[in-house]
Amino acid sequence: MGPDESPYAGGVFFLDIHFPADYPFKPPKVHFTTRIYHCNINSNGGICLDILKDQWSPALTISKVLLSICSLLTDPNPDDPLVPDIAQLLKTDRVKHDSTAREWTSKYAM
Amino acid sequence: MTDSDEEYHDEDYEYEYSDEGGGTDDEDVSMDGSADAADAAASSPTKCMPNKKRPFVSMVDRRKNNLGDNPNAPPQLGDGFGIRMLPADELKPVMNEQIQETVEVLGVPPGAAAILLREHKWAKERLFQSFFDNPEKIQEKCGVLARCQKLGDDEEDTKAGAANRNTRANAKRRICEICMDEDCFDPDEMIAMPCGHEFCETCWYGYISNALDKGPLCVRETCPQAGCTELITEEEVCRAAPELLPKFECYQLRSFVEMYGMTRWCPGPGCGQVALACGGGAFSDIGGNAKCNVCETCFCLKCGEEPHAPITCQHLSKWQEKCKNESETANWILANTKPCPKCSSRIEKNQGCNHMTCRSCAHHFCWICMGDWSDHGANTGGYYKCNKFDPNSDANDQSDAARAKRELNRYLHYYKRFHSHAQAQDFAIKSVKATEARMILLQEQNSDTVWTDVEFLKAANRQLVECRKVLKYSYAFAYYLQDGDKKTRFEYHQEMLERFTENLSELSEKPIQDMNRAEVVNQTRVVDNFMKNILKYVEEGMED
Repeated sequence: MGPDESPYAGGVFFLDIHFPADYPFKPPKVHFTTRIYHCNINSNGGICLDILKDQWSPALTISKVLLSICSLLTDPNPDDPLVPDIAQLLKTDRVKHDSTAREWTSKYAM
Repeated sequence: MTDSDEEYHDEDYEYEYSDEGGGTDDEDVSMDGSADAADAAASSPTKCMPNKKRPFVSMVDRRKNNLGDNPNAPPQLGDGFGIRMLPADELKPVMNEQIQETVEVLGVPPGAAAILLREHKWAKERLFQSFFDNPEKIQEKCGVLARCQKLGDDEEDTKAGAANRNTRANAKRRICEICMDEDCFDPDEMIAMPCGHEFCETCWYGYISNALDKGPLCVRETCPQAGCTELITEEEVCRAAPELLPKFECYQLRSFVEMYGMTRWCPGPGCGQVALACGGGAFSDIGGNAKCNVCETCFCLKCGEEPHAPITCQHLSKWQEKCKNESETANWILANTKPCPKCSSRIEKNQGCNHMTCRSCAHHFCWICMGDWSDHGANTGGYYKCNKFDPNSDANDQSDAARAKRELNRYLHYYKRFHSHAQAQDFAIKSVKATEARMILLQEQNSDTVWTDVEFLKAANRQLVECRKVLKYSYAFAYYLQDGDKKTRFEYHQEMLERFTENLSELSEKPIQDMNRAEVVNQTRVVDNFMKNILKYVEEGMED
């Protein structure tokens, strides 16, 4: 579910979680199967999130990962973007960015 | 080496030199003067090596050291001069010594000392300084804060550990936050980091073996707890996965060799030796060269490349980068063959000398400039008036295209000569075997001849390899020289060395029946001296 205080509110986003053989010592591979307009999530659903990469810790759990993804939806990180165009728009014209995000949410996630 | 040897050496040199340099006597005097200076400078450092101010352990010095047996012996790089070749294992004491000293000065546990040193590239003084400025900040930055504090209150155990005990005092059995095993674990089945985070033995083992699979980076692995920056040391590895400890220590040592300013892995393929310098001077710009005592690879201690005097490491890497980028153009131009300038038969050069004779039309020409050989000679300003690039050829055209073309031509000029000497060097290296065969033939010619009488051939061969190498890098060096007097002078010396080298190449490749021992021996010496002088000249900043 898209967080209430974000332009993704009301949307239902599906994720694919793949556990590698040496989980939990290697991070799970998580990606969106629902399309989403977000500067840290690309069109293939790939997520740019530190705890899914080098900041992974075996003491993390899937619920913590999902919580992090939720907070990523509320607070996108335009300084470390996966989709530079969206990050650029977010920085220059937040209103337009949010309206596009809402548009995509109603189009793909409702 | 004795003084009498030295004199004999110089006499020979002068005699042969004046015989050789027709029409250029004026400059010869100055080179002779510096030759004497070079000899003097080179023989004295052998006596007072450790205190030598000059940081650069030059090839001149190194060669001198071995002149006792054979004046033309190749440089035994890596002997003396503060560079030792060791198997990697023997560096452990060196590393431990550094750690021990840090333990004593900073009062931190050895594991933490090793990490602190590593994070400061093993620069002890720098570490000490920033540590005393703000110990906690440094400890935290390097991920050893808890480990260092643990030493402080060892008696009461860590604060975090104590907290752990309080919160979980009721639950005798503890939960491992990695596997979340419902059965929980006994306290003695758990292994804790100094930061207080504890996990079960099985998870620890999995964590460490996974970390080791990441390779050299494993030495910077942190506590498994999310967000905890405390680093893992051999202490945890030893407790959780003792059989993996050697591998971990191996990575630690590797990191030490790569970061400690005084060491370098031997670049020889598959070679595990390490060069250890005892003084910082060996790492100066065209400084110490080492020779591996196992695989015999010679390399520059600073950059790991083949010894490359006179050019500096910095310029060499720029040059190599440039050659890599432009290699397609250059390769196209420098295909392995050249057409005969007269009949256009393709000719492959497989001998060292540049005086070519076409097998189809018997045309004599110079391999470097492809000009008529008859234009080359003492009476026309030297056989090798081929080493100078003339930027005036089309200097008037100022358009961008013309400038780019000139720049490319300038580069190609140097690259061609660099490449041609590189090939000649390879050829000279390969011909060592052939030379040995020739030595046997030569010895058999006369029953009185003993092996030492024919060794001059081998010496000449070695000298050729050395000269080709220096010449090769001298062109890369010249490419980065600013136009001006210095460059003109350098190119003059370079031209002389080139001429002597070609001469030696021709002399030593003569058919055995025509071989003149005295001539070859003399030429070898002349070339050797000249080469040393050029290197010395460059080393001293090319001032007069």
